[in-house]
Amino acid sequence: MRRYSPILAISAIAVFIFLLGPLVIVAAASVSNTEFLAFPPQGFSLRWFQNIFDVSAFGDTFLISLQIAVLSVFLSLLIGVPAAYAMSRFGFALPKALASFFVLPILVPQIVFGFSLLSAISVDFDLPVIPTLLIGHTIIVLPYSIRVVGASLATFDFSAEEAAISLGCPPVKAFFTIVLPNIRGGILAAFILAFITSLNNVPVSLFLTGPGVSTLPIQMLTYVENFFDPTVAALSVLLMVLTVLVMALVEKTLGLGYFVR
Amino acid sequence: MSRVLPWLLVMPATLVILILLVLPLLDTVSVTFIQQEGVFAGYQEFFDRRFNRVVLWRTVRIALIVTAIAVAIGFPTAYFIARAPRSWRGILIVASVFPLLTSTVVRSFAWIVILGRNGMINETLMWLGLTGEPLSMLYTEGAIIVGLAYLFSPLMILSLVGVLENIDKSVVEASISLGASPTKTFWRVILPLAMPGVIVGAVLVFTGSFTSYTTPVLLGGQRNTVLSTLMFRQAMVEFDWVAASTIAVIMMVVTITVVLTMSRVARRLNPAAA
Amino acid sequence: MTKSLNLSGISAHYGRTQVLKDLDLDVKAGELVSLLGASGCGKTTTLRLIAGFLQATGGQVLLDGQDISGVAAHRRDIGLVFQNYALFPHMSVADNVGFGLKQRGVAGPERGARVDEMLGKVGLDAFSDRLPAALSGGQKQRVALARALVIKPSLLLFDEPLSNLDAKLRVDMRVEIRELQRAHDITAIYVTHDQEEAFSISDRVAIMDAGQISQYDTPETLYRRPANAFVANFVGFETMIDLRVTGRSGGHVSVEGRGANFSLDENVWGSVPDAFTLGARADGLRVVEANESEGLPATLTVRTYLGRSYHYRAETPLGSVLANGPIDRHFSEGDQARLVLVPEQCCILPATA
Repeated sequence: MRRYSPILAISAIAVFIFLLGPLVIVAAASVSNTEFLAFPPQGFSLRWFQNIFDVSAFGDTFLISLQIAVLSVFLSLLIGVPAAYAMSRFGFALPKALASFFVLPILVPQIVFGFSLLSAISVDFDLPVIPTLLIGHTIIVLPYSIRVVGASLATFDFSAEEAAISLGCPPVKAFFTIVLPNIRGGILAAFILAFITSLNNVPVSLFLTGPGVSTLPIQMLTYVENFFDPTVAALSVLLMVLTVLVMALVEKTLGLGYFVR
Repeated sequence: MSRVLPWLLVMPATLVILILLVLPLLDTVSVTFIQQEGVFAGYQEFFDRRFNRVVLWRTVRIALIVTAIAVAIGFPTAYFIARAPRSWRGILIVASVFPLLTSTVVRSFAWIVILGRNGMINETLMWLGLTGEPLSMLYTEGAIIVGLAYLFSPLMILSLVGVLENIDKSVVEASISLGASPTKTFWRVILPLAMPGVIVGAVLVFTGSFTSYTTPVLLGGQRNTVLSTLMFRQAMVEFDWVAASTIAVIMMVVTITVVLTMSRVARRLNPAAA
Repeated sequence: MTKSLNLSGISAHYGRTQVLKDLDLDVKAGELVSLLGASGCGKTTTLRLIAGFLQATGGQVLLDGQDISGVAAHRRDIGLVFQNYALFPHMSVADNVGFGLKQRGVAGPERGARVDEMLGKVGLDAFSDRLPAALSGGQKQRVALARALVIKPSLLLFDEPLSNLDAKLRVDMRVEIRELQRAHDITAIYVTHDQEEAFSISDRVAIMDAGQISQYDTPETLYRRPANAFVANFVGFETMIDLRVTGRSGGHVSVEGRGANFSLDENVWGSVPDAFTLGARADGLRVVEANESEGLPATLTVRTYLGRSYHYRAETPLGSVLANGPIDRHFSEGDQARLVLVPEQCCILPATA
């Protein structure tokens, strides 16, 4: 029975066109049969999609990005879940400032962090590119692990865990059999958010990648700076398809209401 | 429960952040102060150069304009989403989240397609006969602003949807039943209650724009240097790490100042939450 | 100026579902009328419709004879008290109470004086600078009440105002609400699902069911002479027995139901229709010894102790019923007994089909 004012509705629709239009335009430009970027596309060709696979750097860096993302997310959950658990369960015994401390990786500008990692770790200790990237990505996704899993734990009633222990279940086993299954959703959400964050990251990787070893976003950036053909548009389409798949996964498992909190 | 257990559990994450984030940052900060010419010599040199001052001001200006645009775009949209019927809300939220999950490279690249020589706008203008020559819209400050507004508006929308949805509907009805028109209710009740969300969103957008790299490098070109591109050039092209560190510290100081001031403002604006 | 309220032929829909069906309600100036019913009966819809937050799909809302259906909610001059108080969390108590006056262009000094006066009436003078978050539930509801009253509205609406308070406070607050409503001589509509609350506070009560008013009368009449089975059930007539008249002689009427026969004295019961439903509270069926000459034979099953008396579940030819036994005679579960009717605790209802 509520009605919108037409001005509000029109402006909202305009904003959604603004938000989604450019992505549609990229998709359209990817099939242009021209050597340069053009919109509206001129002719139709899938050769720029073919070109993604011909430029071996894209495939190589994609694999590196994938490895870094999976490993760093795994590492961040490994250290993040115990921290989130401790703060939910024993928060009273820990300093309040700890929660703020764990958001530091979000607070510090990523480009600054990337530069600091380069000058302090990778140069001083002569660390190779991959481990440095792994360190950088683990730290920037850590807040997602801690906060998303923490939010999930906040709604968990720990008396269930205590009940299990009172029934003779050892504490560690109680965590894995009682707590963990109940925060599966949170862990999955943390995994997905962190994975996407790592996969798309530019500012941290920027300083840490080196000749021959790069990540996909950095490789795309370099390519766009040097070539004007629609290859990156085609690649963008593939990445958007990946995003759609990820969102479908979130929708299936958690519901999309998850994003507003 | 043993007393060390909580500490044991938070230890790995704490140590990782301490050793691999805090220490490197302290290293970066200390480098800028340990100079032969004096403690503040690095900063003195930075601010002495007119070019640097122009870049700093440009970066601040861009971030401020983008924040203003994001509020202007985000508020009505979030309000629309928050009041939409349940069945629509999911779709509208997906539409807002989708760009956020898409690579910043892709999203900035999109504007090359739109603003470029053979891009959508130029093709349209020439087709309409409004211009004979393609306009050069790319590689301008305006392009950076559009790109960043595009990048960060969804963040603003999402920060606001949550807050607006949480405003008790009966509070709005109470205001109307007491004789306040819908417009007055908006200014006196809804906006003040949504202010924390506006501030959270504004902080995210401002700091994000202020430190962004991808968009300025793709859409700003060589002439429109901002702090992050300047820092990258100092570090990786000129190999002047002290200068790069100085810029890094300036970025951190601005970011942290903004975050702290705004969260204080937020607390003052919304004493009810305290 | 106290005003009367008339709803005539109101219908309302949520999408395709009809939630109010041709509803009529007359409220005299200065009356406090409760809308009583279970959730989903349409009472809150009716209230929101009067307040102007919903649009009726048919019918009229008349305030002192003037149709206000087309008047925007913020121009209706109606004080509304919400279930969850709906205080403005970012404004002090005084600013909350002064909000409506400000909308009416009441200047600062006068506004301050009226706010102070009203806060004095609800006993919150000392709290005017507090924020709502710093108040208890009862205090919040007093602020909400003051905020609605201070604008001297032509109508005061309450939407389950006490349901978030604890039992003791509820009783205190409803007395306070009644006193304030009387003192300000404001016509009021009070929505609740609590029968005791509605009966204690109201001049008249409209019992609602499925978007319609089942019965609209004084609490006394509703309590003693419900017009139909729904209302009877609502006011505590738990046992319903279908009966028909088999013979009349003098003032005595012989009735029968499922093979059980007994007689009613029309001097006590009033006129008895040929077929009817007898409604009885537990107190309306009294347990007596099995060897008494009168009464319905019964087997007592479950006994519950109530302090003043015992309640028994009793198996009778008419079915399983709830009956009341004296405190000084202790029947055991399984005992045979007889049940006699107590006319004051029974009612005669139109036969259910």
